Amino acid sequence: MAMCLHAGQLMLRYGSETFRVEDTMRRMGRAAGMEQVNTFVTTTAIFLSFKSPVDQRDHIQMLRIDERYQDLSKVTSVNQLSREYVNGLLTSREVKKQLKEIEEAPMNYPVWFIYLASGIGGGAFSYLIGSSVMDMLPAALGGLVTAIALVRYQMRLKVKFFSEFLASFTGALIALLMVRMGLVINTNQVIIGTIIPLVPGVPLTNAVRDLMSGDLVAGVARGAEAAVSSMSIAGGVAVALTIFFV
Amino acid sequence: MAMFAFELGFCFVATVAFAIIFNIPLRLVWWGGFIGVCTWAIYSLMPVLGLSLVFAAAVAAFFASFVSQWFARFMKVPVTTFSLPGIIPLIPGSRAYETMLAFVQERYLYGLEQGVETVLQAIAIAAGLVFAFSVFSIGKGVGQRYETHR
Repeated sequence: MAMCLHAGQLMLRYGSETFRVEDTMRRMGRAAGMEQVNTFVTTTAIFLSFKSPVDQRDHIQMLRIDERYQDLSKVTSVNQLSREYVNGLLTSREVKKQLKEIEEAPMNYPVWFIYLASGIGGGAFSYLIGSSVMDMLPAALGGLVTAIALVRYQMRLKVKFFSEFLASFTGALIALLMVRMGLVINTNQVIIGTIIPLVPGVPLTNAVRDLMSGDLVAGVARGAEAAVSSMSIAGGVAVALTIFFV
Repeated sequence: MAMFAFELGFCFVATVAFAIIFNIPLRLVWWGGFIGVCTWAIYSLMPVLGLSLVFAAAVAAFFASFVSQWFARFMKVPVTTFSLPGIIPLIPGSRAYETMLAFVQERYLYGLEQGVETVLQAIAIAAGLVFAFSVFSIGKGVGQRYETHR
């Protein structure tokens, strides 16, 4: 049971869809010999109940998920692990050990690489919007600053939505400063390149998937999370624009 | 034509970079980039044929999601790994910015117009995703209305 919950916790925390968490836990439970396995997963909690074949009694446990990150490589590894367990390639002791390893492992990429990717992604994406090669460099610089700002603010403040707001505000401020200094031809393109690394992609796609697969509570909750994230990002840009354009 | 190839190249770079931002394993990142390039090609070529941008976004999102489901089944990894970078090029960032700028400058009517277009495009992307997901879950049974099999 602890194993099932642990697997579910890791998947949900690192940004898997509700449907996949439930499915994985159910399969692992069946493979471990539980009967009448029932799971209920929302965005912030996991419930698992089953009938134990040993003492013929019902067990139920709940787990609260407080922090949610975006790290799809961990989801992939837990998924792979559960597949191997269900096919009987691993014992539950090995699975427990590997889950612990996955939990304690550092991120798949070092954080400077993610900063770099945000810069490059922002620069390249901005070309798709404005198609001006000259503006790619400011956009890349903006994207880099935004990503660094986001991680730094999150480390200090530990408030997700507020640090997203501050990060987008900082990024937009830098971008607008570059516009003021005359380094930029296409303001639109640079601002988008700056802000785009903040887009809440994981909650957005997961919300759609959850709603479709019938997990209505989780879907609406994730949709709300994505909406609040986008609002705080938009708010940050709007405040920066107000400072410069009034 | 050279411009278009240039665009596709940058689209590939952007999509791969975003896959790295989402912490997707390095061996799967390239497939996400491939899907992103195809999505962008559909999205930017359909308006040339005279179709609306919103419809193009829906079709491109459908394609991205469909191919992702297929890849995911083939490589036995979660679908999100491919569909997430796949739909990144479709994000209506420019429109969203125009909306905010218009509201900040108190041009409310223009802002509403742009805002509606932004929301429509977002809905079109969601619709594309949903449609591909439905096609893949045919026969599995999610939420029927009548209990006909008694």
